[in-house]
Amino acid sequence: MLQVRDGAGEMLGVLFDRYQTPLFNFYSKLTGDRTLSEDLVQEVFLRILKYRQSYRPGTPFRAWVYQIARNARIDHFRKFPRERAFEPEMLPPVVPTDSAQEHQEAELLHRALLQLPEDKREILLLCRFQELKYEEIAKLLGCELNTVRTRIHRALQELRKSFHQLTEATLKQANAAAPENLPPRGGRHEV
Amino acid sequence: MKCEQISELLPDYLQGGLSPDQHHTVEAHLQQCVDCSEEVAVWRKLSLLPVEQPSPMSRVRFEAMLQAYQAGRSNEPASGPSWKKRPSSWNFFHWLRSPFGAAAWSAALLVIGVFAGFRMAGPKPLSPDIAEIQKELASTKQLVVLSMLQQQSASARLEGVSWSTREQQLNPQVLSALLHTLRYDPSVDVRLAALDALSRHSTQPQVRNSVVNALQEQQSPLVQVALIDQLVEWHDREAKPHLEKLRQSQDLNPAVRQRADWAISKLN
Repeated sequence: MLQVRDGAGEMLGVLFDRYQTPLFNFYSKLTGDRTLSEDLVQEVFLRILKYRQSYRPGTPFRAWVYQIARNARIDHFRKFPRERAFEPEMLPPVVPTDSAQEHQEAELLHRALLQLPEDKREILLLCRFQELKYEEIAKLLGCELNTVRTRIHRALQELRKSFHQLTEATLKQANAAAPENLPPRGGRHEV
Repeated sequence: MKCEQISELLPDYLQGGLSPDQHHTVEAHLQQCVDCSEEVAVWRKLSLLPVEQPSPMSRVRFEAMLQAYQAGRSNEPASGPSWKKRPSSWNFFHWLRSPFGAAAWSAALLVIGVFAGFRMAGPKPLSPDIAEIQKELASTKQLVVLSMLQQQSASARLEGVSWSTREQQLNPQVLSALLHTLRYDPSVDVRLAALDALSRHSTQPQVRNSVVNALQEQQSPLVQVALIDQLVEWHDREAKPHLEKLRQSQDLNPAVRQRADWAISKLN
């Protein structure tokens, strides 16, 4: 009996090791909430255990997992509606530093992503980070392949705009805060 | 080309799914169009976002969930009719997370364990609950094997093949996945492992046929030799004409031909 129990644990453990980080990142980038993301990852594995009979062999396993992941999140927010939507304004301002430009860009991009409407954010995450093919995403979202392409394009357009605005705002702030760092302009040449 | 037309191609460009012609068209457009090229730049910059790691507690919670789920299933019949009203495993898991729940559950487990121990001490046929758990376990195993055989990395597929050997009886879907691996997997190691796993199921006519057919299809001498050895081990006399055909094929590795000759003499 114990052997049976340990055996099943070991096997689901293999799947857990493989998928927990990608799933966690999917949720955390989607919701911006680490604790909730961890809860949802647990829920996904419970559902894998419960509904494993519903997996049809021969279909992509990854897509099946993300189907479960989407449903888990939808069910969660149905049960516990959000009191208020996530507002990026709640985050502390990004402090520009030359030494960590890449870090700063990542931070701004993360915020730009969080500013997107959820459906746009989700589709970008699915194709960029979860490495799902467009056909798989179309099936997952229940829409046409061309619709997926259009949505990705629109999401990316919007992301670019937000990112652009955020970058400009940060630059302005930096210039206002440190005018002494600006190069001198129109200085007189004295001979 | 206009941005509108390019935008239809852009998503496939980003995932590298365009034909070389279309790819060049998009690249040429990107050289001139700031908006579109910025869009591509933002897509690429998304890789800057760090991969976040879940906390180590996540694994602990997973183990607890698994135990609760399995304890919930295995204790149900043993606990008798007085335990009919049991919470569902999900509520159960939430409950288990509280310290009170943990303590209560440990005590309950102990009582149930002792109770079950007494009940199961006497000679008794395999109870339906154990059969049910074994069935569930088999289906989980199947899920793991099937998912792993689809992985990108050869070592993961190799692991998948080795998982399949833990089962005495192969499920038809796992069997067909293994046969597919034997024929088409790009890695020689994985194909060899699949052959090894399949060799345990020689009673299935499908397996023998696939091994015989693979003789003509496989190009790698290592796999060819392994296939020949397998046929000899099975004393498969019907394979003889196929071996003859193999040894006559051109460009055959001399070592493989020698092995085929040896196998034909063995099968006589």
